[in-house]
Amino acid sequence: MSKYNICSALVHAKLEQIDSVKQTLLTQEGVEVHAQTEDGRLIVTIEDENRKKVGERIMGFYEIEGVLSASMIYQFSDDDFNEQESLETKPAQNKPSQDKTILDENTKERMSA
Amino acid sequence: MKMTRREFVKNNAIAATATAAGVTIPGMKEVLAASEDKIRWDKAPCRFCGTGCSVLVGTQNGKIVATQGDPDAPVNKGLNCIKGYFLSKIMYGKDRLTKPLLRKTNGVYDKEGEFEEVSWDEAFEIMAVKWKEAMKKDMAANKGKPADKLTSSVGMFGSGQWTIFEGYAASKLMKAGFRSNHIDPNARHCMASAVGAFIRGFGSDEPMGCYDDLEHADAFVLWGSNMAEMHPILWTRITDTRLTKEDCEVHVLSTFKHRSFDLADNPIVFHPQTDMVILNYIANHIIQTKAYNKDFIAKHVNFKKTPTDIGYGLRPEHELEKKKTGKGGKLSGISFEEYAKSVEKYTLDYAHEITGVPKKNLQRLAELYAHPTKKITSLWTMGFNQHTRGVWTNGLMYNVHLLTGKISQPGNGPFSLTGQPSACGTAREVGTFSHRLPADYVVKKKAHREFAEKIWELPEGTVPGKPGYHAVLQNRMLKDSKLNVYWVMCNNNVQAAANLNEETLPGYRNPDNFIVTSDPYPTITAMASDLILPTAMWTEKEGAYGNAERRTQFWRQQVSAPGESKSDLWQLMEFSKYFKMEDVWPADLLAKSPQYKGKTLFNVLFENGYVNQFKQQTVMDDRGNKYQNDEMDDFGFYAQKGLFEEYRRFQLEGAKKGHEQADFDTYHKVRGLRWPVVNGKETLWRYAEGYDPYVKKGEGFKFYGKKDGKANIITAPYEPAAESPDAEYDLWLSTGRVLEHWHSGTMTRRVPELYRAFPDAVVFMHPDDAKARGLRRGLTAKIISRRGEIEAQVETRGRNRPPKGLVFVPWFDAGRLINKVTLDATDPLSKETDYKKCAIKIEKA
Repeated sequence: MSKYNICSALVHAKLEQIDSVKQTLLTQEGVEVHAQTEDGRLIVTIEDENRKKVGERIMGFYEIEGVLSASMIYQFSDDDFNEQESLETKPAQNKPSQDKTILDENTKERMSA
Repeated sequence: MKMTRREFVKNNAIAATATAAGVTIPGMKEVLAASEDKIRWDKAPCRFCGTGCSVLVGTQNGKIVATQGDPDAPVNKGLNCIKGYFLSKIMYGKDRLTKPLLRKTNGVYDKEGEFEEVSWDEAFEIMAVKWKEAMKKDMAANKGKPADKLTSSVGMFGSGQWTIFEGYAASKLMKAGFRSNHIDPNARHCMASAVGAFIRGFGSDEPMGCYDDLEHADAFVLWGSNMAEMHPILWTRITDTRLTKEDCEVHVLSTFKHRSFDLADNPIVFHPQTDMVILNYIANHIIQTKAYNKDFIAKHVNFKKTPTDIGYGLRPEHELEKKKTGKGGKLSGISFEEYAKSVEKYTLDYAHEITGVPKKNLQRLAELYAHPTKKITSLWTMGFNQHTRGVWTNGLMYNVHLLTGKISQPGNGPFSLTGQPSACGTAREVGTFSHRLPADYVVKKKAHREFAEKIWELPEGTVPGKPGYHAVLQNRMLKDSKLNVYWVMCNNNVQAAANLNEETLPGYRNPDNFIVTSDPYPTITAMASDLILPTAMWTEKEGAYGNAERRTQFWRQQVSAPGESKSDLWQLMEFSKYFKMEDVWPADLLAKSPQYKGKTLFNVLFENGYVNQFKQQTVMDDRGNKYQNDEMDDFGFYAQKGLFEEYRRFQLEGAKKGHEQADFDTYHKVRGLRWPVVNGKETLWRYAEGYDPYVKKGEGFKFYGKKDGKANIITAPYEPAAESPDAEYDLWLSTGRVLEHWHSGTMTRRVPELYRAFPDAVVFMHPDDAKARGLRRGLTAKIISRRGEIEAQVETRGRNRPPKGLVFVPWFDAGRLINKVTLDATDPLSKETDYKKCAIKIEKA
């Protein structure tokens, strides 16, 4: 058992600055960018052992040059988390998608694992 | 295929975020659907502000472990602000109260004693002894008096965070049971001015528009509202509209620059209190340029004037009160020409001179309102409401919209936002104010009292007819020993009320008084009390809130409250069992209803055949999940449902239209409905044909809260603030909130993430003002008024940038109580405190 904290956010960046916003986000510990939409929104998660810092980190998103807004979506924390517990799943049906979301490489990997 | 639990949770987080962005991540949905989630998900409205976002609450092993913005919620469409984000943590602060605590010395109650744990029975016993003593004295004093002359020494201070059921039960317990109108909610501090203006202007409370306006409007004007921090989700919607709609513009007005200015096309910083000048200047501009809507005015508007120079709601012996020449708010009719004349002096030159705003900015704003077709939504919160002329100023805003007929239409309208999750649904609609009854009925009208007495099955003359003490007066009356037993529920008024040292604390520690506070946490109000009752919060009980767009939203109980803590609803109902009717009503009143003799107050108010008609049942959602309901288990009937259905009778059986709610069960199935709900349909824009079921075909508009169906344009002049800077106290102080914390910080300061993001209150000030006082960023300043002082660190950068001559201090911090410094001046009409203006000086600490 261990502590586990994860938060996710939708960060809306100016299109012309989206790459630099993404780079700045990625330099921060525990931050991953999973996908971006055509209109400049980034799907971001923050994992951190020191959960106190998470709030500070998210408020810091506003200070990044090129960020228009940051909305919080999902938050999970459990102090007795069995993270390696394995969940049986049925094979995913890989439906064709018309979506134009640009997937991050890591997320792609996770999805095809 | 196997997935670890960690991966599963992470994938959920990504999927939820993708949904909110309106995209799907290929394969993700299927992976998650195929896995077994141990978390039970259910909807609940957020615990914090008046926006009324819906969140999905994830419960596992009896604990809330996750929250997610509700993708099916029309209000927030899957998004959360940072406070809503960390909702799962507000109930798990380390210092949750789990047992009643009574001040004792040597085993007996002593006001000067130390807090000791007691049982609920002992807590209610001592309370009942004190309450009975007070009522015995009151009954002797009231002997032979008619209902409208009754006095009481029993008081209660409630909340716009009470659930609808709790507010209704409290109001009934006080007004019918204890026969006292001294019940007021903390909404007095935030919404009373808005209410006053709605009633004066339209004869019915609550906004005409709804959040759909945020996509329909062509322009937004913020008046004394920092939505970027205080209503971030609504601000996100405005941002989207501004960025995607051609020619959309945003005007932001405030007494200092804040985050909402980042999006402003027309930023306006005006001198405190001179918003009244700007509003009258706009009205004058509209008239001078003949931009008013003649047809609309002729058909739908009356012109009125109000008494002026009405004082500042201070104690009668205060100098300012002795000087006033006018009184009250009785309206008298005037002509359009007289109205036009009354605003004639508010020219561009005059407005520029008084407000300090560049002419081009004022002109651009006036031209926007005068534009023949642009749809404008005006939004405000505490800038207008916490104002010694708050009712007038809200009214001046309505004048502008009524002159042009830009009202009650998609994208067109004045929109008063709220700060608390159920300021509208509970405090206002249920009527937990000292002058109100449910559904806009008032205590001072005999017919209204009789209507309440009929529904409550009480003898005629039970409900007292004199409006009770409002929030600010309650503190003064506690200090003056006129109010002797006092129950504070669901708020932190020692921290929230102005002038803490002189007018709040003395009443709490007055030896003549017994003070009880119900709270989940040891707030400073709880610590200033004599008895503390541990309280269940948010999803530890079943609940219902009504938000700023008139949307009623329900939730089910998700988890148990810790230790022996109980909901406000349970406390209110259970306490009523400690009284026989003979303890609370005089013999002559009881003689009119002899069937109540020997009964308990609980029998008469809650076991009355109506509230207890819904028997114990299993609460279940549409997916088959079962939920507990602790009050139902305890009382043996579905108390929430019975109270709600009895409350609905005020909306359905009376003469007042426009307050109707759907039935109880419906709300558990939907993401809220906007009242009035008529024939199962919600109402988006009130008073307008095609949207409001009470406006007939061909009428166009009908402001049916008023007898003749016409709204009031009420002229009022600019009058100065109660206290302005002078040679010694040379700066304005404005107080308010920050994004990370909500109100007094009771909940948000106990969330480690939020605490760390903004740990302590600071004083935001202009760098030149700091320098002139030997200060700079990061140094400690003393903030001193005629009433008290605090210390805080200086901040000259960042989100709030005051002009020279003004400082801003947030009030969330119990370690830096800015309300020691503020002045308890109120709007004499609404009795709401002006927290935005008083005079201070700053010194190096």
